[in-house]
Amino acid sequence: MLELFEALLYSTLDAAPALVFAAVGATFSERSGVVNVGVEGMMRAGAFAAAVAALVMPTPLGVLCGMVAGTGVAAIHAVLCIRGRADQVVSGIALNLVMLALGTFLLEALFTPSGSTSIAQLSRWTLPGFDKVPLLRALHNHSALTYLAMVLPFVAHAAVYRTPWGLRLRAVGEKPAAVAVMGVSVAQLRYTGVLISGALAGLGGAVLSTATLDRFEHHMPSGLGFMAVAAMIFGRWTPLGAAGAAAFFAFGNALRIGLTSSLPEISHYLPQGVLLALPYVLTLVVLAWQGKGASSAPAALGVPYNSERR
Amino acid sequence: MLAVSLSLLLCFGAVALTRGSFITAVKAFAAMTAGAFGDWPRFFEKGAWSAVLGPWGETGNKAALLTLTGLSVAVAFRVGLFNIGAQGQLMMGAITAAVLGAKLELPGPLHLVICLLGAALAGAAYAALAAYLKLARGVHEVISTIMLNWVAVSVVENWWVTGPLRASASGDNSISGTDQIHPSAELPLLLGAASRLNLGFALALLLAFALYLWLTGATRGFEWKVVGLSAAAAETSGIAVKRRVFEAFALAGAFAGMAGAVLILGTEHKYPPALATPYGFDGIAMALLGQGNPLGVFATALFFGGLRAGGTRLQLFGVHKSFPELIQGLALLLVAAPWAWARLLNRSWRRA
Repeated sequence: MLELFEALLYSTLDAAPALVFAAVGATFSERSGVVNVGVEGMMRAGAFAAAVAALVMPTPLGVLCGMVAGTGVAAIHAVLCIRGRADQVVSGIALNLVMLALGTFLLEALFTPSGSTSIAQLSRWTLPGFDKVPLLRALHNHSALTYLAMVLPFVAHAAVYRTPWGLRLRAVGEKPAAVAVMGVSVAQLRYTGVLISGALAGLGGAVLSTATLDRFEHHMPSGLGFMAVAAMIFGRWTPLGAAGAAAFFAFGNALRIGLTSSLPEISHYLPQGVLLALPYVLTLVVLAWQGKGASSAPAALGVPYNSERR
Repeated sequence: MLAVSLSLLLCFGAVALTRGSFITAVKAFAAMTAGAFGDWPRFFEKGAWSAVLGPWGETGNKAALLTLTGLSVAVAFRVGLFNIGAQGQLMMGAITAAVLGAKLELPGPLHLVICLLGAALAGAAYAALAAYLKLARGVHEVISTIMLNWVAVSVVENWWVTGPLRASASGDNSISGTDQIHPSAELPLLLGAASRLNLGFALALLLAFALYLWLTGATRGFEWKVVGLSAAAAETSGIAVKRRVFEAFALAGAFAGMAGAVLILGTEHKYPPALATPYGFDGIAMALLGQGNPLGVFATALFFGGLRAGGTRLQLFGVHKSFPELIQGLALLLVAAPWAWARLLNRSWRRA
């Protein structure tokens, strides 16, 4: 039993970072008032760029390239939404479509249709002493990004809730006009929010192609970006909540994989598809249960700021 | 239109660059056009009807699906809702059509009609779920429909199609997907054996026209528009806003479900292990590029259906067939920000 739990914990910790980074990132964008359904596309860009860059440079630098790529996609989103006052959902969806097709196209042009050439995976850290203790062993032998994913949500939470900048970021998502009156640039704060979101989504994508696997595969990130958005909503637009929800989703997934491999009989009672659908159904149920009043979405979410109209 | 041609141009450049030659890019685009709208040179040389009708069929079939999902998104837009769930509704419609088509035994036309209606109903019901969550519980439809899409994928493709509805193996060849539908449920071919064009195309065209008339002519269609433009104004003038939103969203689901039926009854003839193409998401692009007008949606769908059909020929030139999707995404991006490129053009005009 303990061993099973340990194995579950281990695979959760291995799979969660991608989702955690993307979900925490999404809170920055949405807190500033810009809807980000383009996380999927940003993750794809990050995963691709990291895997390609790591072919010619050390893998950690490749991960940085992934972040830059994610930021680049986010920059397009930011310019369209903030300067262009475009419909934020449309822009996000369009970016997803473009990145999906572009990723496939570049993959075909540069590598084979199914995946890119293998790279050196990120090295896994060995924590002295941890490999002897049961349960704690699960914390052992992960890539640095897993440990970063454990720390980052707290840092992000502190940044959003304990710094003047965080206060402004939240304010700009609630009532941008008030922030503008204070003499603070609405656009600048929103750009920062969206770009942070892109960098973290890119990092999340890079996790997939440099830590979880050792190459970019054609279907990456296969819906994880949408999951990240769901986790962010589930976590009520707070970094810690988003990270918690992301970890929960990852655990659910690990549980599903663990159950079906260790107890194959279970598929007679609970079909694979039901287990797969569970996190989504759960999200819906929670959202429906929270109802209208309890929604903690930023008030100005999705509304472009127009300084000529108050 | 400008957006589309601009993105075509961009992609042309991309092909020329990645294939290292301008000539190849020209040839690839020529092949794509031939694959989309008919290989006219070959037709005039040899009088081979199939050179023209074949591509028309591929284009028409793809256009039918794009039209239906595009209409789905467009109807929801009319009442101010964003239907990202067309994909999930399409899957529900598709599985319903596949089951009704394989399990029921009915005379020809009746069987077909029942399958289509059943699929539309399934799609409508699935969309109604999202509409209910929106109206009664305040769950934003963008979120709920994204979730419901994943639920549909999980439940339909990872449970029903691989489990209870999996085709019974006949003889020694194991089959994937569900049972084949009966011939009586298949959408009849319109142009005979030369082309795969089926009745779904006519159906999509008809529905686009019907929706156009409904939205421009019927009182209910007008009320939808009012609700979409200003719910407050609609409320004050005595329109039952919630009911109108619910109706429109259910209709959106019905269109998407119908798309699923056309896919199954027209080309697949069974529910495959996995639906390869996300037509539901393409519907968003169709609706936006067609500016929410049913006839505009149809025209856009025809164009992109052609690109899709021709896109498969790009593979001969080593270009992936996802290329049309790239064009579509870029076009959508340009539509999302008319501001961005209008400014660019302005600047270059001023300079000239």
